Amino acid sequence: MPEVRIIAKNFMDMVASMPAMKLDKLYENGFICEAILRSLPPLAKKYVLQLLHIDQPVLARLFAEWVLPDGLSKHKVAIDRLLQLRLFVEALDSRKNEKTYKVNPTYQRSLQQLLVHGGTLPRESMPSNITVRLPTLEDLETYALEQWECFLLQLISPSHADKTLNISSSLMKVFQRRLLSQRDREAPKLTESGFQFLLMDTNAQLWYIIREYISNSEERGVDAGDLISFMLELSFHAIGEAYNINTLTDFQRNIIKDLADLGLVKLQQGRKESWFIPTKLATNLSVSFTESSSRKEGFVVVETNFRVYAYSTSKLHCEILRLFSRVEYQLPNLIVGAITKETLYNAFDNGITADQIVSFLRQNAHPRVAQRIPAVPDNVTDQIRLWESDINRVEMTEAYYYDEFPSRDVFEGACDCAREWNGLLWEDSKKMHLVVKSEVHSYVRDFLRRQK
Amino acid sequence: MSPAPSKNYTDDVSLLVVTLDTNPFFWSDFPSHFSDFLSQVLAFLNSILLLGQLNQVVVIATGCNSCSYVYDSSSNKNHASTNGTMPALYSNLLHNLDEFIAKDKQLTTAHEPGNVPSSLLSGSLSKALCYIQRAFRSGPMHPQPRILCLQGSPDGPEQYVAIMNAIFSAQRSSVPVDSCYIASSNSSNSAFLQQASYITGGIYYKPPQLDGLFQYLSAVFATDLHSRAFLRLPKSLGVDFRASCFCHKKTIDTGYVCSVCLSIFCEHHDKCSTCSSVFGQAQSVAASTDNRKRKAE
Repeated sequence: MPEVRIIAKNFMDMVASMPAMKLDKLYENGFICEAILRSLPPLAKKYVLQLLHIDQPVLARLFAEWVLPDGLSKHKVAIDRLLQLRLFVEALDSRKNEKTYKVNPTYQRSLQQLLVHGGTLPRESMPSNITVRLPTLEDLETYALEQWECFLLQLISPSHADKTLNISSSLMKVFQRRLLSQRDREAPKLTESGFQFLLMDTNAQLWYIIREYISNSEERGVDAGDLISFMLELSFHAIGEAYNINTLTDFQRNIIKDLADLGLVKLQQGRKESWFIPTKLATNLSVSFTESSSRKEGFVVVETNFRVYAYSTSKLHCEILRLFSRVEYQLPNLIVGAITKETLYNAFDNGITADQIVSFLRQNAHPRVAQRIPAVPDNVTDQIRLWESDINRVEMTEAYYYDEFPSRDVFEGACDCAREWNGLLWEDSKKMHLVVKSEVHSYVRDFLRRQK
Repeated sequence: MSPAPSKNYTDDVSLLVVTLDTNPFFWSDFPSHFSDFLSQVLAFLNSILLLGQLNQVVVIATGCNSCSYVYDSSSNKNHASTNGTMPALYSNLLHNLDEFIAKDKQLTTAHEPGNVPSSLLSGSLSKALCYIQRAFRSGPMHPQPRILCLQGSPDGPEQYVAIMNAIFSAQRSSVPVDSCYIASSNSSNSAFLQQASYITGGIYYKPPQLDGLFQYLSAVFATDLHSRAFLRLPKSLGVDFRASCFCHKKTIDTGYVCSVCLSIFCEHHDKCSTCSSVFGQAQSVAASTDNRKRKAE
């Protein structure tokens, strides 16, 4: 089965894929260094901190000595990540002929600076006498989530949305590119990745959108490096504080409008000045996924009789539940549905996996049931997985079939050749039939040609 | 006891409670300055906060006669006073520390010269544990707590019982107590801290020199609990398990233990001062003199 999955890659993977020149430029900004440090695996964080004030290259052998045998795999992951992000510079010690590591000097300088002197944002929050009627933190959060939901709803079904956002249709197309497929004169349909997208948690969705936004930036004539650095900087602004829009460059002002539509910031206008207020979505940008994924309050209760109760008023939630369950009735603040074999088969047809459904139910479990272990009854999760494995009873492998070999020697030679390439699927030595994987076909064919 | 924490953030989110020894008598005799020490510690605290957005740092100052919270990274007051020249952490902490030291000074009573009085470690340990208990109860998700004792002044045997109780309570709620013992002479070690780290599974480390304190702190004590499982960290070479007696608060090698409540005494008593059990009624006089001889060695 082809694996078409949206990998919710995070910012740092994008940063890692940038050319060295641009990376070094990014590392001049202390906040970016901080965000990157926070995104590292725990062991890598420790290595950076440990080498922060060491200017000499350190032998790679020494690193391995710090780690217990159990942790070697983690150690490798950490080192790979550090090299990938160019935080560590690899070199060869000429005298001992061994590998050494050293912290990237630009990064080292910025982080040292940040550690000792602290970081200051390029702009300060505005005094409260100018900014009247600032929203409370709760208001801001509901605003952000509403805005985000509205965006999502518009993204997946433009006709359903109550209010339209100002996101330009060309930008919307970019976001929809891989989530919706549109045939001529038909309503757009969600693609496989579109369904998966809906089941991801808010942060993962946000990353996906931001990733599309950034990867598309070059087409719009915006430098990806500037965009990344601005977004990371934004994530260090305090939630709920007002920042004057005049402190932004023109380029940033354009971006902030888009971000406001996504719910990352709230724009407000005073008598003379206007300002933006970062929401939780913005500050979460620099947090890695796992940390914040499960902090949202859930709303779903799943019972052992496969009934799903969702305490939600949101249309979006209803749409999502519809993906894998039959919605039976809807009360003002409650959606009741049932998970059935048919609805699940439907979901699997659309490319949603059982794991995604289960993790969605777990992550969005109502606080009352979230305390229980397991949050979703075992019989339900097991059954969902069983039904999924029902579909995948047969595994398809593309293959080539050979018969009518001229002699047993040639047949056996062909079998050995296929075995060597690890592509022998089946053989019948009596009747001299052979089936090989399609990748190996060319080798076997060459072998047979040579025999002639 | 609060119910066992069921959910955490990712494994490496930590709540670090630092007890900071501010004993003026110790620092005045000490070859290096308190301000040098403090600047390295501040950089260390900052780096802990730097490592993760959800990391939390609480600092408790341990004075001679009192102890007090001087910094809490989760409190809201911190955001207000950023003045651009110094991070909020530093200005807040220094301000509170100044106030604390002034207050602690007023409480100071006269002591014999040449003899450094001990700091109130038991008090700050208890405060740290109280804070951690509050964090446990704050909700289903909380960071992984640990305590770091930055201690320089010698142990106060009179605090033995209180400290041991704090240690056992930390052990019960599985909070590791790390200790960084700062002393000028190489031979001296803190028996209390050694025991605390040993019992709770923390790290006891005595930096051989103070110039690179930040490096020691960041290499050893910045390690989160999750990573400790696969790193080689300093192991203690030996732990001084000696107890203090309940009657004179002296550290003793051999002593008498009440068979009922396990109180420790340095000399024979007829009656236990803790649980009032009466000893030695059936014992012959010879046996008790024998005991006394053994103790005298």
